[in-house]
Amino acid sequence: MVNKKTITGFVFDIQQFSLHDGPGIRTTVFLKGCSLRCFWCQNPEGLTVKSELQFFATRCIGCGSCFRVCTNKVHIIENGKHIIKRERCMQCGKCVDECFARALIMVGKEMTSDEVVKVVIQDKMFYSLSGGGVTLSGGEPVLQSEFAYEILKKCKNNNIHTAIETALNFKWDNIKVLLSVLDIVIMDIKHIDSKKHQEATGVSNKLILENAKRLSKEKIPIIIRVPVIPLFNDNVGDIKKITDFAKDFPNLLYIELLPFHRLGESKYETLGLFCNTKKSIAPDKTKMLKFANIVRNVGIRVKG
Amino acid sequence: MRHKNYSFQERLDILRKTKLQHTKLKSIQQGAKDMDDWGQIPYEGGFIFVPETDHPKGYVIGSKLCGKNFRLFLEKSPTYISKLSSLLGGYYFIFASYVTKWDPENYWVHLAQEQKKYNILSGITASHHFGMDLKLGLELGFGGILDKIKYYREKNSSGDIDFYDALENVVIGIQNWIKNHIKDAKEAAKKENHLQLKNNLEEMVEINTKLITNPPETFREVCQWAAWYQMAARVYNGSGALGNIDQLFYPYYKKDKERGYLTDEEAIFHLACLNITDPQYIHIGGIDEKGKDITNELSFLILEAVHSIKIAANIAVDVHDNMDKKLLYKSVELLFKDKLGIPRFFSIENMAEGFAKNGIPIETARKRIQVGCHWFSLPGSEYCVSDVIKINFAKVFDVAFHEMMEDFSIKPTINGLWNYFEKHLKKAVEVTAQGIDLHMEYFHKYFPELVLDILCYGPIEKGVDATHGSLKYNTIGVDGAGLATVADSFAAIELRVEKEKRITWKELLKCIDVNFTGEEKIRLMLQNIACYGRGETRGDYWAKRLSETFTKMIKEKTTPAGWTMIPGLFSWASTIEMGKETGATPNGRRAGEPISFGANPDPGVFKGGSLTPTSLAIAVAKVQPGYGNTAPLQLDVDSGLIYDENGIEKLEAIITGHFKLGGTLINANVLDKEKIYEAYKNPSKYPDLIVRVTGFSAYFASLSDEFRKLVYERIVSLSC
Repeated sequence: MVNKKTITGFVFDIQQFSLHDGPGIRTTVFLKGCSLRCFWCQNPEGLTVKSELQFFATRCIGCGSCFRVCTNKVHIIENGKHIIKRERCMQCGKCVDECFARALIMVGKEMTSDEVVKVVIQDKMFYSLSGGGVTLSGGEPVLQSEFAYEILKKCKNNNIHTAIETALNFKWDNIKVLLSVLDIVIMDIKHIDSKKHQEATGVSNKLILENAKRLSKEKIPIIIRVPVIPLFNDNVGDIKKITDFAKDFPNLLYIELLPFHRLGESKYETLGLFCNTKKSIAPDKTKMLKFANIVRNVGIRVKG
Repeated sequence: MRHKNYSFQERLDILRKTKLQHTKLKSIQQGAKDMDDWGQIPYEGGFIFVPETDHPKGYVIGSKLCGKNFRLFLEKSPTYISKLSSLLGGYYFIFASYVTKWDPENYWVHLAQEQKKYNILSGITASHHFGMDLKLGLELGFGGILDKIKYYREKNSSGDIDFYDALENVVIGIQNWIKNHIKDAKEAAKKENHLQLKNNLEEMVEINTKLITNPPETFREVCQWAAWYQMAARVYNGSGALGNIDQLFYPYYKKDKERGYLTDEEAIFHLACLNITDPQYIHIGGIDEKGKDITNELSFLILEAVHSIKIAANIAVDVHDNMDKKLLYKSVELLFKDKLGIPRFFSIENMAEGFAKNGIPIETARKRIQVGCHWFSLPGSEYCVSDVIKINFAKVFDVAFHEMMEDFSIKPTINGLWNYFEKHLKKAVEVTAQGIDLHMEYFHKYFPELVLDILCYGPIEKGVDATHGSLKYNTIGVDGAGLATVADSFAAIELRVEKEKRITWKELLKCIDVNFTGEEKIRLMLQNIACYGRGETRGDYWAKRLSETFTKMIKEKTTPAGWTMIPGLFSWASTIEMGKETGATPNGRRAGEPISFGANPDPGVFKGGSLTPTSLAIAVAKVQPGYGNTAPLQLDVDSGLIYDENGIEKLEAIITGHFKLGGTLINANVLDKEKIYEAYKNPSKYPDLIVRVTGFSAYFASLSDEFRKLVYERIVSLSC
């Protein structure tokens, strides 16, 4: 019997042996849906809270099964090309089930917390040996606060170290409830200037900075991650401002500088989305070292 | 004229360069080879050896002829003198290639057909693959060994005279080989102008003159003695294991250090020279009979030595709960620093627990040492012929599947298929057992283990070769190969044919028989299922079931003649050859493609989850047969991990975690994915790139094209 109270959430990936989302060997659970629209986003499949059809054209073997099973004419041929009419897609998944070449993937899966924990728990031995655990990431995991809480609570009950990666763009209460089941918070600070933040991410940083300050007064250790993005914050002044903002946080473990990369660009095409960063150039090593020194100079540990 | 003195490291750098040139020349002379790199030196002149034989058909067969000819062979072998090395000697040729290893008139026709049917590597005529006790030789010296042979020859007046003659010839042959080297070294010393090198040559003359008869007393002498013995073993039949030399050499090291005769730097130099002479299997660290850690300074110096030369060496470290954590850290650090796949890691404790289940006391079981690719033996007292007897699970599956499908009177089911598979696996085990009996009965008459015999407990005393039951323990290793191929095939049929009914059994048969030609969609459908290694999948279930069933079959009885068999899971480099013998399989593998690698899950995405180092470590731990032999975990990790400040600790966690879960052996590789990609495209550009292929490390450029492809594919599919 299905328990009506069972909370489910939307997950778009569970990555085992995750090494860069907190301490030790971790499993990162990516929850779908985000309230920001950063122009450099490399996880575009995590933006919306619904399943989406991804199409990897290079994998297609042209068997035609998707055309046959789809009753909504989502798959059509235009000018000899396989086109996906996403506006007609009901996310029924029939075409995906038939696509053994995995050219079609339904990204985003509704799961119960038990299903998630079952995967997370597999690597428990390695968490305890490496000081690792589980990390909820996204998208913005806090948007699915109840679901996140359940996963984290169950992990805690299994003595698994817990972390969350968040952009902090929500009301304080949403994260507050999670603090009791979290061992560490990893948060993004992208820019101190509100206007620039608004332009680049679609939202103001008011809530974000407020929440960051409140978090700094909690007992939980925090890590700040700064994506270093060309033509947005990849300059001494902006990095310095972020550093100054965080320098007095007593619970700050370190700041991690994440250089912009383009590894997610191909995903845009598979989702039928437009990618904004095609011409951007990743910051070079010298630049990254310079920024790292800025952080170090105010007495904050730095990673990256 | 005064010359600048070379430092130890400078000498090693030159020796390493020469070694790389040798490797390059060898790959031109011998072509690609998918096996360990040996210390063999390429010979550029002509060498003709015509063995002496009184056999009517001209065979070189049996103790008498093997012993006599081996002696002649060593006496005629050209010498090799490196004035930079601290150790004298080198070898160019392998005696075994001049020997008739089996009497063709006694060919096993009655087994051959079934062996072919199941693609069994029978191990009949397989040489060495067990370990001697080097300690015996270090205590006796060659003179002492001769005395021992003489003593037992007289005591065993009814014993095999030919066998004793042969053993004597082996020792005298080695002594004469040393003498030839001394003679040439003296000449070289006379001509040498460089004072340091002249002294070195003179020292080698002095040391080796003593070692012709006497046992070694100093650290350098012990390395030199071990080098002679090992080279002789290699020349005789390719044998190659030093064993736990951190323990064996320790008294010599300590004595020399206390007397102020030896620095650690010099000790590293001698150990490095020993590895250059021949990269034999070395076992470091470990536990004593009571389970106490026995790591010592030499354990570390051995690691330093291989680090100083960066050649394909074969070092393995025992990992256990009470171990010196610094040794583990240093070992893992070396994997990252040198990226040579050195060292490997094993758990004697887990193996000992399993080995004890064969009725052997646990204290004895703990004394097993690493002497080969994936195998361990009690030094000098266990004949195991490990790693040469293998059953191709995939071929057995192929036979079972077709037999069921050809029986029109029954309705095919997954359970029915399993029954057919069990039936044929049982038959394959029986055929294998009969092959073992044949080997044990006759091999000593054709090509006895004369060089290993002299350092074992039993052969000299009883006058009987090690392959004929003269050692206390005879535990014949039988490995299953192709675990993932078969497990995934069962899981694929279960899901696609039986559960989802997407295709019928008949359609499946057709696809298999036409090798999926024109059926790519079905092939992908079968391939994209929840495979073995992806965490609690049906593939995992079938893999475990297969391992358990195989183990039970191997253990439920002895061979007909009463020899004990021990199960393991390992395909070695045979994964390619076995694949060629096997038709298409329902896991989407095409006919002729390699079967799965060792006990590892098949690489690849979209097989029910990603294959990460952690999921691999869990999967392989769960399929351990558990009777003392290994099912190794082949672990490839991208060097990107080191950029993380705790990279070493993370890899340590995987290693210790695997052993906590019951694992036995880890062959680890830390690699630059990009470098592998470049080297794959242009191997000759990277002559010194070493990769861990399976239980051994090898020069990537010297592998066959097919094997390079296999290693490349395994590595690029890393999800880290």
